[in-house]
Amino acid sequence: MPPGLELIDLRRRFGEVVALDGVSFEVGEGSLVGFVGPNGAGKTTAMRIVLGVLAADSGEVRWRGRPVDGAARRRFGYIPEERGLYPKMRVLEQLVYLARLHGVSRAVARSRAEGILDTLGVSTRSTDRVETLSLGNQQRVQLAAALVHEPDVLVLDEPFSGLDPVGTDVLVEVLRRESRERGVPIVFSSHQLELVERICDGVVMIVDGRIVARGSIEELRASRTRRLLRVEVDGGSTDWPGTLPGVRVDRAVPGGVILELSDGIDDQRVLDLARTVGEVRHFSRVRPTLAELFREVVAS
Amino acid sequence: MNDRAMWRVVAARDFWVRLRDKGFVISTLITLTVLSIFILIRAYGGGPDSFDLGYVGDRTIAERVDALGDRSGIRITVFALLDDASADAALRDGRVDAVVIGAPDAATLRVLRAVPNPLDQLVQAATIGLRIDRALTEAGASSATVRELKDQHPVDASPILPPDPNRDAKASVAFVAVLLLYGQLFGYGIWVATGVIEEKSSRVVEILLSAIRPRQLMAGKIAGIGTLGLIQLIFISVFAISLASVTGVLEIPADTFGAAALVVGWFVLGFAFYASMFAVAGALVSRMEELQNAIVPINLLVFASFFLSIGAVQDPDSGLAKIASLLPISSALAMPVRIVLGSASAWEIAAALAIVIGSTALLIPLAGRLYAGAVLRTGAKVRLRDAWRAAA
Repeated sequence: MPPGLELIDLRRRFGEVVALDGVSFEVGEGSLVGFVGPNGAGKTTAMRIVLGVLAADSGEVRWRGRPVDGAARRRFGYIPEERGLYPKMRVLEQLVYLARLHGVSRAVARSRAEGILDTLGVSTRSTDRVETLSLGNQQRVQLAAALVHEPDVLVLDEPFSGLDPVGTDVLVEVLRRESRERGVPIVFSSHQLELVERICDGVVMIVDGRIVARGSIEELRASRTRRLLRVEVDGGSTDWPGTLPGVRVDRAVPGGVILELSDGIDDQRVLDLARTVGEVRHFSRVRPTLAELFREVVAS
Repeated sequence: MNDRAMWRVVAARDFWVRLRDKGFVISTLITLTVLSIFILIRAYGGGPDSFDLGYVGDRTIAERVDALGDRSGIRITVFALLDDASADAALRDGRVDAVVIGAPDAATLRVLRAVPNPLDQLVQAATIGLRIDRALTEAGASSATVRELKDQHPVDASPILPPDPNRDAKASVAFVAVLLLYGQLFGYGIWVATGVIEEKSSRVVEILLSAIRPRQLMAGKIAGIGTLGLIQLIFISVFAISLASVTGVLEIPADTFGAAALVVGWFVLGFAFYASMFAVAGALVSRMEELQNAIVPINLLVFASFFLSIGAVQDPDSGLAKIASLLPISSALAMPVRIVLGSASAWEIAAALAIVIGSTALLIPLAGRLYAGAVLRTGAKVRLRDAWRAAA
């Protein structure tokens, strides 16, 4: 994968508070990366540094292998954590202005803005002042503002917050198209982990200013230290696995148990034992959800 | 468009958005109205140096007052009135300012409430003069002596510099110039500050600054708003000169065009000096309500300059007026006054230009740094020191 957007050892303090403590990750071209972490972990700080609205104390942001400068940054699209548009400016006029600030000519800016408003389903509001729009529609205009100059990179801070299910679907569709069709590397932060799990190629997890996990969801699962099995045995009691060394009952679930296996324990031996207890109705490795991985990482 | 030209995109937005703003239309209308009233009062209000004097019966006092007025540059228009009743009626209607009733030995001056000041002095002087004339004639003084003593203005002034017959008209032009410049500098400076706060409080500034540098944003805003102020000022000046010409207030149109050009030119210099300070004041706060506090120091400077310049209209050669016309904080207001009144020498003008341009060139980079350090920080008012450090 070509080097898309790279964050290299970013560090930033605010007084005594260390906001970023050596943050490094990359977002390859055409990949959609979810940036997750608890509140205050440093997501917004990292994104603001990528966009140059905040300076890092040290470290570097690179795009296609070169340090990002003003010209490269103008080809980035951004939704900041605190949304911002001119409240009294009309929607289309505003998008044209923002596109022009990103170096797009007036004529091109206008046709693109109209196209995006159409895609996002707000084209009927193009001559209205932004402040008269509902929050959901303002959010769509905010997204349009990030897309109107057909950016090379998209950095979106909580783009899904405040969207209804229809808006969410539209945004997912747009993000997929931008990454698949235009090859745009996209990184977005979110607390909606099911959504991240569903649509992202990769996940970067940050806690207290440090990257604690990164990779595809499968890689994250594989890197997990705990091995869990879900076993359902007809008529069996729930204490049968206790007789097996290296196997611990994690918790009971309807109709069965979740077992945690120590390293080196063959899961087939567990199956053998289970069959001696009763008829095995269900036997599977537990694939942890991103939310479960997240809780586990944050807790440790 | 390259990186450095982005300020033009910003300037174009700030210009057009405000041109269509209701506030702009209203402020233009208010300025035009105030200016029209000022010009029309001068055209038709008569002014303090012309009086309408009535008389009943004996006309010698009224005639002498008229003659005295001519010598002192005060225009007296004399009206004959039939009797006391018609004198009262004329006073009540405002057709006359005062009525002389009777001959010099037993005259009364009838007025509505109080005698307008120079008119009172003229009437008293005329009557005393007439009495002295009669006393001298009765005492047998020669007619030559009497004629000599009739000269009511025996001491002529001998000015070192040639007197300017249009001094009053020029003072009026200078006064209007100060008012316009003050309103324009202050009004458009506030607009820069509120424009900065609008971007800060709506948080759109973060999107803007992800595309362009803070200094470009500040420069574009100042240029766009300043251009609008410049065009409005030119429009107002043309309107005022046209109205004054049509109504005959202006006896010296050529000088007035020169004064208008001075006002426009010094607006550019003064605005360039002040606007970056207003931008910083706006960047330090996050809400419109906090602006009043943030701009207090700038307000004081502009107010002080305004009063110094009004003083310069009265006495353009005073030490204070000279200093005010050289200091960069006040030269934009005080120097055009002194130039219009013919009191500024060439080297003073050159020095004032050099000082204001030089200090603007020093100020803008400092302001740019403070602006950049403050504009992305929301919440409590940013301290100057923190803003300075943040943009290091």
